[in-house]
Amino acid sequence: MMKNFNLLSAVILLAALFAGSAGFAGSAEARVRVVTTTQDLAAIAEAIGGDDVKVESLTPGTRDPHYAVAKPSMIRRVFRADLLILIGADMEIGWLPPLLQSARNSKVLPGNPGFMDMSRFVQLLGVQSGPVSRALGDVHAKGNPHYWLDPRNGLRMARAIAARLGEIDPDNAAAYQNRFAAFARTMEIKLPQWQAALASLKGQPVIAYHKSFDYLADIFGFRIVDEVEPKPGIAPSAATLGALIQRIRREQISLLIMEPYYERRSARYLNEKTGLRAAVLPQSVGAEKSITTYFDLFDGITAAFKAAQAPQEDQ
Amino acid sequence: MTNSFSTLLLITATALSLTGAAAFAQESGSSGIGAIRAELEQVRKDYESAIAGLETRLRQLEERQIATEQAAIELALTPVRQVGAAPLPSPSLAEDPYAAYAAPAATEAPSTGLGGGSIIQLGLSGLFAAGGSSLENAALQNLQAGGHDPNRNGFTVQNVELTIGAAVDPYFDAQANFIFLIDADGETVVELEEAYLTTRALPYGLQFKAGQFYTEFGRQNKLHPHSWSFVDQPLILSRFFGPDSLRSQGARLSWLMPTDWYSELTFAMQNASGETVTSFLFGPGEEVGGHTLTDRSARNFSDLLYSARWMNGLDLTDSISANIGISALWGPNASGRDTNTRIFGADFYAKWQPAVTQRGFPFVSLHTEVLQRRYEAGDALDPTRETLKDWGMFSQALWGFKPGWVAGLRWEYAGAKGNTALDPLRDTRKRLSPNLTWYPTEFSKLRLQYNRDWFQHLPGTPTASALWLQIEFSLGSHTAHVF
Repeated sequence: MMKNFNLLSAVILLAALFAGSAGFAGSAEARVRVVTTTQDLAAIAEAIGGDDVKVESLTPGTRDPHYAVAKPSMIRRVFRADLLILIGADMEIGWLPPLLQSARNSKVLPGNPGFMDMSRFVQLLGVQSGPVSRALGDVHAKGNPHYWLDPRNGLRMARAIAARLGEIDPDNAAAYQNRFAAFARTMEIKLPQWQAALASLKGQPVIAYHKSFDYLADIFGFRIVDEVEPKPGIAPSAATLGALIQRIRREQISLLIMEPYYERRSARYLNEKTGLRAAVLPQSVGAEKSITTYFDLFDGITAAFKAAQAPQEDQ
Repeated sequence: MTNSFSTLLLITATALSLTGAAAFAQESGSSGIGAIRAELEQVRKDYESAIAGLETRLRQLEERQIATEQAAIELALTPVRQVGAAPLPSPSLAEDPYAAYAAPAATEAPSTGLGGGSIIQLGLSGLFAAGGSSLENAALQNLQAGGHDPNRNGFTVQNVELTIGAAVDPYFDAQANFIFLIDADGETVVELEEAYLTTRALPYGLQFKAGQFYTEFGRQNKLHPHSWSFVDQPLILSRFFGPDSLRSQGARLSWLMPTDWYSELTFAMQNASGETVTSFLFGPGEEVGGHTLTDRSARNFSDLLYSARWMNGLDLTDSISANIGISALWGPNASGRDTNTRIFGADFYAKWQPAVTQRGFPFVSLHTEVLQRRYEAGDALDPTRETLKDWGMFSQALWGFKPGWVAGLRWEYAGAKGNTALDPLRDTRKRLSPNLTWYPTEFSKLRLQYNRDWFQHLPGTPTASALWLQIEFSLGSHTAHVF
């Protein structure tokens, strides 16, 4: 028993030494630590928080946030966070609950000011009213969670974040409001520009790969008539692609929109058969290196649409 | 616009040519100069009034255009302005999709419906296997020693698990897992696999857990069967921890240390007796390495099972993350009145995922654990007294090569010091298991696995082969994506 006791003491001492040497150096930081589940939320939080906050995103914009896993490094970030901002509407349902349980940080638990579920500050599309079954695929009963793709929702989120940061850090409340005002002014300039640039899309029928562009269609006025995935989250088969080809020909649909992380084979196949052009849209901040702000995101989406609509050389 | 411009140009051109004609006329004679001058003056006046008229029209058009554009901008900005003026929604637990993870309000009882805002997480998963081995059922059960391993030629109900969990109040979360399975005799067995509460709000990164729970030793031990990457549990775990992994009743304190990387220290005290603690007090009449166990119940604190674990989680690059842990167990065993067991383990897990992934694919992961046991068998005066020394390891690699598809390969080794060849739990044993898993969605899977076994305990039969097909479903609360 004595030997065991010595071993235990040694392990604890070693661990404590590690903790002492590495940990307490960073604890004097005064900035509000904001952790977001996606880079879109991080970009908005950065625009509002400026130098008064330190923002980290748990997932990169190059990956589908629904399929993230709760890594220890993410637990670590949530453990130290003052404010946790999430997409909600079941987007992070697979990994955020276990992460919150491991992170043991009561500040960012639901119901406290440090927990901000952004889906409650926007109007969600596609809220299911009837019974929902997983036989329908990966249906989000609480509504479509891809709402950051409507710039008006970006503005709603920015406003809510400014208010919440002001609550958590009252000393800088005015600064947060000023940055929100600047964000809104930029939006007042940018939104009409994007709408003008994409005016030709108005009323056009478009095919989407996944059910993730409903909000983009809502703001820019195009119609998503079908998806490549037969059901959300279910990969297309030869038969479903065949049916889609019939529809594309019948309704003379000319454009497919998709996220960069989906397979391109279906898009190439549809292009060969029908001439359907694919616009690979950056779906999030960080999806491309050059997209670092929320405004860059829609500049990038506009550019991707333009590129797909431009006359192409024969391949 | 273009039209007005062309008109303007035409008039200008006409005017210019007229001026030129007039000048020419002036030179050609002097008698009608006055008349010509008057005419010229008239032309100039006409021209100026025409220009003035055009300028007015142009200005009017421009003004109209600006007004239209302004209206369009106003229209576009309406949503922006509306957003700016709308009241912010106030937090309300009833509409909160994370209600299940929120602390229930002290005064107001939230909705208990299991739909949208349910406050209880409820899940049911079923795991079934079919297949066969080159061995008879009786011999197969020694090879597949895990309680949830497929261990019969034919069909096995490996694990049907009901999970219930929620926040208890602002201070505790709680969870319980009930297991149903059908044993080799066809009897339905119910087990309370885990039932524990954990604290939510202790300071300094501390978390306390109490109840019946898996001991935090290594990475694999605390995984429930539906999260395994292979159809059966690693054989070294079956040898050291028995058919059901190491779990018992007790309390655990964990400390998430304030380091720059994830570093967690866990210390637990648990009961050392029962069929899920086979390397320790286990049960009277059971045998370990030929030593029959006595009824040795806990007399003081030194008769409990103690465990410690230090786990570190690091992001090596943006696409590679790794967990490195060491674990230790010590406690009494029932082969004598003062005999103890010590088990040490080291575990390593790393996962690579490229920057761009679809549904979490592709990925490559590597998981290795090494365990060593020192078991004091028999009291000081016992003539059969000896120290049993066993060790083993397993190493498994997974390759998610396209969305929904994972190929896996596992290599295992287990052995012991001394003449142990006839003991199925202590002979030298090797196993190689390739498998292929298809996940149609996150909620179901199909797995095909081949096991090639090498062992000593069956004289004349040194190897065996087995093929297993496994199928799983998952209902209710969303499957957890844990690293």
